[in-house]
Amino acid sequence: MSSSRDDFTIAIRSALLQRGARQKFSLFFLICLSLLIFFLETFEFKFMKNFRSLLNDGIYRVSSLASSPKDFVFYLNDKIKYHIFIYSENKTLKEELEKLRSKDFQLKFLTTQNKYLKDFLTSSEDIGNETILAKVLLDKDSPFLKSILVNRGSQSGIKKGMPVVDGNYLVGRVVEVNYLSSRILLLNDLNSRIPVSIEKSASQAIITGYGEKEPKLEYLPELFDAENGKTVFTSGKDGIFPEGLPIGKVIEKEKGVFVKLFSDPNQLSFVSILTPDNSGDGF
Amino acid sequence: MALSLSKKIFNFLIQSGPIIILYFLSISEVDTQFSNIYKILSFNFQIIIIYYWMLREPGSIGNGHIFFAGLINDLVMALPLGTSAISYLTVSFVASYIRNMAVNMTLFTDWFTFLIAIFFSNSIYLFLISNFSKFQYDYISILYNAFFTFMFFPIFWVIFGNYRKLMRHN
Repeated sequence: MSSSRDDFTIAIRSALLQRGARQKFSLFFLICLSLLIFFLETFEFKFMKNFRSLLNDGIYRVSSLASSPKDFVFYLNDKIKYHIFIYSENKTLKEELEKLRSKDFQLKFLTTQNKYLKDFLTSSEDIGNETILAKVLLDKDSPFLKSILVNRGSQSGIKKGMPVVDGNYLVGRVVEVNYLSSRILLLNDLNSRIPVSIEKSASQAIITGYGEKEPKLEYLPELFDAENGKTVFTSGKDGIFPEGLPIGKVIEKEKGVFVKLFSDPNQLSFVSILTPDNSGDGF
Repeated sequence: MALSLSKKIFNFLIQSGPIIILYFLSISEVDTQFSNIYKILSFNFQIIIIYYWMLREPGSIGNGHIFFAGLINDLVMALPLGTSAISYLTVSFVASYIRNMAVNMTLFTDWFTFLIAIFFSNSIYLFLISNFSKFQYDYISILYNAFFTFMFFPIFWVIFGNYRKLMRHN
């Protein structure tokens, strides 16, 4: 009995304190160091914030560089696929074009619709804020966090909380600002909550991420008619986001009312960060 | 006869393979999340690497590298600094303990004891995150991640076994 306890103690001690020929630190020392770093950051010591910001800028650049082979493989894959399918795609497009030409009324309808969409785009373009274009450095998928890293930081005037759009569509907000880079929390992240209003009825709700591609609408009015296809806009009630930024379309499912985002959070290459207008009124 | 420079570089790369993969996975955009193939499919490759190599060839992957890879992973994933490092070092600790205690190691003993490593690693990770940070986590996703990490271990056990043979020949 005491012999097995001795073995157990010796094995634990050996695992924690013994160092191999090439190892400079014992496991025990490194665990203590990790805990120290963790608690220093958790209790928000100021020097840790600066230290992390400094490390972030360096690591994100290296990270972007290390990801370049993967990006190149994906780029090559897309190009090959594009070349393989270009012939059939071209044929299909020609057939479609022929059909459109043969139907005058359909063409007229499309022209009207096109004009409407153009008007819509023109009005949406005028968001009323200055924007900063940023390139997505890192889009590492995780079951825990849905966020991206961009190549603009406090040097470019980025501040925490600024809304981020892809074209005219809201994709998230800035949650971490470093000198040369920032982290954007996407709408489908578990920690994302944004007040929205829904087309026509102007019903108010909160769009909540839960890790999946389509975020959920919560706190809807009791008699809300979840008609599929209704557009969801930012309500601006939080004072952070400008009102009227389109987000997505309503889809009703068994588990609740969800939003199909206009901008696919997994396909972002460039995003625009909205800065407050110069009037000093913020968003 | 002295080895040529290219041979030396090749040997170095082969011997440092586990460390290179560990750092690469921590720092790059490459991940082991396959939700586009199957919604719940994701696993933690770093834990598999650490456990296998600390158990079988501790000289090829040191605790210092595990610590730094953990810190880098925390920076890239925006986790509180030190969380992954503690989690990885826990796996390393279980592996070292098993190595000291076990007499005969087979795939099944490694696989079974890996479950203990995953359990302790995830428990400490969740304890730290849920008690000392503002992050919200989907516990079911973490459970699936742990399950697939456990299930994929034998595949990598075989692959790494062959890689060790290659290391010995160089």
